Amino acid sequence: MDFNPCSKHRLVRKTVREFAEAELGPIAAEIDRQGRFPAEVVEKMGPLHYFGLQAPRDLGGAGLDTISYAIVIEELSRVSAGLGLCVTVHNSVALYPLLRFGTPEQIKRLAPDLISGRRIGAFCLTEANAGSDASGVETLAVAQGDGYVINGTKIFVTNGGVCGLALIFAVTNPENPRQAASVLMVERERPGFSVGEIEELTGMRCNPVSSLFLEDCRVPAANLLGRPGQGLKIGLAALDTGRLGIAAQALGLAQAALESAVKYAKERQQFGKPIASFQTIQNYLADMATEVEASRLLLHRACAQKDAGQAFGAAAAMAKLYCSKVAREVTNLAVQIHGGCGYSQEYDVERYWREAKVTEIYEGTSEVQRMVIARDLLSRPV
Amino acid sequence: MQIVVCLKQVPQVAELPWDPATGRLKRDLAEGMTDPAAKRALEAGLLLKAAGGGELIALTMGPPQAEEVLREAIALGADQGYLLCHPALAGADTLATSQALGAAIRHIAPKLGLILLGVASSDSETGHLGAQLAEELDLAAALNVEQWQLSPNALRVQRVSDGFLETLELDLPALLTISTQAPEPRDTPLGGLEDAFASGQITRLGPEEIGLDPARSGLAASGGRMLRVYSPAAQKKAVLMRGAVKKSVQELLARHGDRLGGIIGRDLGAAE
Repeated sequence: MDFNPCSKHRLVRKTVREFAEAELGPIAAEIDRQGRFPAEVVEKMGPLHYFGLQAPRDLGGAGLDTISYAIVIEELSRVSAGLGLCVTVHNSVALYPLLRFGTPEQIKRLAPDLISGRRIGAFCLTEANAGSDASGVETLAVAQGDGYVINGTKIFVTNGGVCGLALIFAVTNPENPRQAASVLMVERERPGFSVGEIEELTGMRCNPVSSLFLEDCRVPAANLLGRPGQGLKIGLAALDTGRLGIAAQALGLAQAALESAVKYAKERQQFGKPIASFQTIQNYLADMATEVEASRLLLHRACAQKDAGQAFGAAAAMAKLYCSKVAREVTNLAVQIHGGCGYSQEYDVERYWREAKVTEIYEGTSEVQRMVIARDLLSRPV
Repeated sequence: MQIVVCLKQVPQVAELPWDPATGRLKRDLAEGMTDPAAKRALEAGLLLKAAGGGELIALTMGPPQAEEVLREAIALGADQGYLLCHPALAGADTLATSQALGAAIRHIAPKLGLILLGVASSDSETGHLGAQLAEELDLAAALNVEQWQLSPNALRVQRVSDGFLETLELDLPALLTISTQAPEPRDTPLGGLEDAFASGQITRLGPEEIGLDPARSGLAASGGRMLRVYSPAAQKKAVLMRGAVKKSVQELLARHGDRLGGIIGRDLGAAE
């Protein structure tokens, strides 16, 4: 067992950090405040393979392993968690299901635009009456001729405002509750597909999270992903992978908050000395650093399990549960160490703090992660 | 034609502690990165290769972990990398380094057209190596080059020297050090990194393979000795101006008028 990052992982981290600090660093606070999607940076990221992180090289992707993937998302999120969110959602719950469940024809037709970043992907499960409970989905896709007609409203869609391809969870067979839902891939330009208002969220504000409306939206049968009724299976597989990405995003936020706290504690003078010289602050920093390291190890282990072809659902849930909790706690302590300045938009820690909270909510709440972990635990032979 | 780009791995932090006994930097305390000036040279090599073809070879001398800069170069488009790595090469100053790199280049690039280096590395900043390597290999050289144009047998380059823009023409093979005013290095594509680690070709060389006389390598062959290294003592001094605002502004202009005027592009003295 080697706990040192290999040369490739070190270089991936360095490469992404350099890019993120140069391109996103100067605008991260501004795009958060203005709720602006940084399209100019996204355009540069396409040719560098950020939108095909684990897609095969021959399809134009980067072909990276999952630990590298987690490192990329961590480093992007360390600078701009909102853009880290865009990249991880696109890769893990839009592109990945297409590559895994798509037919060769679908991959040939739809993957190149996703991998190059020409189309941003979105994953649409959540509705007004469905979230943690996927069986509550009310969006209906009725088979008609050689295709489906979709009607329904999806809410809180990450990348919604900029998505070029949306994976829509819709009920195709209401009679069979176990296989009611299917996944339909809908291109933005299809008549009947429209984007709602961009949500005014607490954090991740540079990501245009929105509702999506499907009104008599016709898609050909060739846009059905997998088989009819496979929706839940595809969704769960996508979410397992997606959770690794959200864990990495949370880790990036925690890392950023830790670095800010260390820097500020060394600079800020009270009682004639830096506050870093006080034991209370040292204890905070020590705990923060320990938790961040533990999170990274848990996440990388889950990623390694995926790369080894082992079941990783419970490991991904543990990583997501733990990293998001640590992100909330570490960003909270970082604000505390910054005192009044931490509560001001002049410093980045208030943004980290606002952004960390949602990592405990989306891609499965912490309560759902515990359900996944407990189910795995209790299903093992004693 | 073969283009050899000499790269150097430097510490990633701005300031590193050094060993007071030897005057050498404690490089193992920091993560390494490709020297920013060398990245300009690599960019020049990539542009030259894209325009005129040929083989782009990345070469570095250093400890085993310096292999990373070669992987990065391959990720960006270099065809292969050579790592000159041996305990006998350790402690080399720029002269001994030029002798080792010269021997390596004779060995790896029989169809040599061009050698490219950064103008000076960010850690030691001597800027000697280009000239010493050109001397070692008896090549025409131009240092601090900003622009270049390659024709089949000659290379025309531009540089700013002593405030004058110079245009020079060199016979090939030649050596250039590339200015920090040359085109910005491109970003590394992640797929390139994957390829560099999956299939990138890197060869490790020692003094024996390249026929380097031990007397001409490492610390033994280094003519220069670092006698003393120190940080200039920086002082922060805050000046508090009291009294009426007008008086403070006048005082500020009297103290710093030249610099402030320079920043906003106006002669503040004349305005008054």
